[in-house]
Amino acid sequence: MSDQRPAASGLQQIVPAGLVVALALWVTWVSFAVDDPEPYLFPRLVSLVLLALSVALLVRALTGKTLTGAGLDGRTLKNVAPAIAVTLLYVFVLADLVGFYAASTAAFFTLVTLYDPAPHDEIETWLKRLAVTVGFMAVIAVLFTLVLKVQVPRGVLF
Amino acid sequence: MEFLQYFSAVLTPASLLFLGIGTIGGLILGATPGLSPTMAVALLIPFTFRMDPAQGLILLGAAYTSSVAGGAVSAILLKIPGAPANIATALDGYEMAKKGQAAKALQMCFVSSAIGGVIGILVLIFLTPLLAAWALGFGPSHLFWIAILGVTIIGTLDARSVVKGLLSGAMGLWIATIGYDSIQGVERFTFTEHLDGGVNVIAALIGLFAIPQIIEMLEGGRTRKTIEVLAVERHSIWASTREVFSKLRALGIGSVVGTIIGLIPGAGGQIAGIVSYDQTRKFSPNRDRFGKGESEGVVAAESANNAMVGPSLVPLLTLSVPGSPTAAVLLGGLLIHGIFPGPDLFSKHAAVAWTFIDSMLIGQILMMVFGLYIARLAARVVLIPPAILAPAILVLAVFGSFAVQHSLSDVFVMLTLGLGMYFLEKVGFSAAPMVLGIILGPIAESNYVQGRIIAEAGDGIFAYFFTGGLNIALIALCLASVAYSVAMEVRQRRLARIEGGAP
Repeated sequence: MSDQRPAASGLQQIVPAGLVVALALWVTWVSFAVDDPEPYLFPRLVSLVLLALSVALLVRALTGKTLTGAGLDGRTLKNVAPAIAVTLLYVFVLADLVGFYAASTAAFFTLVTLYDPAPHDEIETWLKRLAVTVGFMAVIAVLFTLVLKVQVPRGVLF
Repeated sequence: MEFLQYFSAVLTPASLLFLGIGTIGGLILGATPGLSPTMAVALLIPFTFRMDPAQGLILLGAAYTSSVAGGAVSAILLKIPGAPANIATALDGYEMAKKGQAAKALQMCFVSSAIGGVIGILVLIFLTPLLAAWALGFGPSHLFWIAILGVTIIGTLDARSVVKGLLSGAMGLWIATIGYDSIQGVERFTFTEHLDGGVNVIAALIGLFAIPQIIEMLEGGRTRKTIEVLAVERHSIWASTREVFSKLRALGIGSVVGTIIGLIPGAGGQIAGIVSYDQTRKFSPNRDRFGKGESEGVVAAESANNAMVGPSLVPLLTLSVPGSPTAAVLLGGLLIHGIFPGPDLFSKHAAVAWTFIDSMLIGQILMMVFGLYIARLAARVVLIPPAILAPAILVLAVFGSFAVQHSLSDVFVMLTLGLGMYFLEKVGFSAAPMVLGIILGPIAESNYVQGRIIAEAGDGIFAYFFTGGLNIALIALCLASVAYSVAMEVRQRRLARIEGGAP
């Protein structure tokens, strides 16, 4: 759970509220614009609640009455952006393309390297990061492949 | 006394092994700041997939119990609570550790956790069958309102904003409708092929609870944090145990407060620990010593947060309404084994249900024994840098969500929900109501559809869903939880304005 400091800016409240209203409108439209209403009876109910609450949130955001959440400042965003980019690449591209184990090893090593405060110009720290990666991936392989017998996508590598 | 019959199932070598692994793993995970008990249990669920249902639940139950107690290790040695449930423990536990009484504080913490925990599990044992028997008479309209009540309570109590909490719950209810409709097999809201099978509950649990925490761990970038772990000196366990039993007032208040708060869906260990600490301080002749290393404070907080664990499972096992986010994750663990909790759980799956509950009772004792001996080791875990911990959890989350159905789509859904929740949490949304919505959505929908069929053949929808004593009571509870939370939010805003804070 994030901390309870007030949010950084009103815009950080308005943009998500607007997106949630858009989602609620789409859900409502899909739920009501169908020929056969039977499968959508419950979604219709949910969509109306979603719409009412999201509009209430947008009104509160526009009038500056919703200020919960820590907000996201530029520095934090800059710090987490590489992790998010690596994670997206790992899951949506590499996992299927090069194989689960190869992609996981690359993602793990990249993230450890990116966020390890130890200097990058010392051979020992690189060896340490490599050893941690290999050790951890070996544990994962034993757990999932040998113990749980999970067949993960192989891809072009492994 | 049906529960006595199933102790033999817990005392088999395999069950004891899983109980031990769950307990030690939970203690270590709980001691790690940034890893909540909820996330620890969510990450463990895929490992239980191939296990016998009872053994899988033994592992999850042990991890739940011990991760709550394990959070006290970092609270005492670092003043960083491992979980919100341990906030009150840090107040006096850390002060004791600074005075060279770290071992004594840890020992008292595990002994009082076990006592509170046993009392909580006994309440679970004796109350659950009674409530389940009463709930057997519930019809679709009651079960529909109970599901809505579960989402409403967690949505309003767990969130900092009532509108955002309820919205989060409503989004969860909508997410639960994605995929094939269970009656006619019609595809709903499947704008990508990855959503054809709907949103897998376990993938959603892992994504919503693990991914935001992983990214939060990396928010500091490459900064190195120097953490000083206070030394754990040798101290007689028996002396600490005797001292715990001499603090009967704190133990009593902690166990009673924890039990009552555990029964209230959504309240959770954090509230139990803080309320119990506060009440014990008010009744103590040594109230001036609280916050300065008073052992009564540790006993009150730890007995309460573990006494909460058992009762928090009562609404889960009897009504399918999880009493806490971690109970919601446990519900996911039950569902993947095809066990649907509810009024008929003790008639259809008596062996699994009682073995699970009995294992939690034995787990309290194991937690105390292991906790006392591995506290030193657990404290070292906090030294694992976020640069290693975060990628490790990410890889576990990816493999774990894939393992459930051998589906890459589940991994995509897990990551999408998790990343979305990271940004939503930054603006005050919370994951727990959404998870509750996803879990309780199918229960609410199936009972709504069944209720409509019954209503159309009878007095109509309004009469069926909105009249009758129980329906009205459940609707009143939904409205009361919203009204209470709105009142609290208004009060907090007014206080903040007086103090010159946020408007």
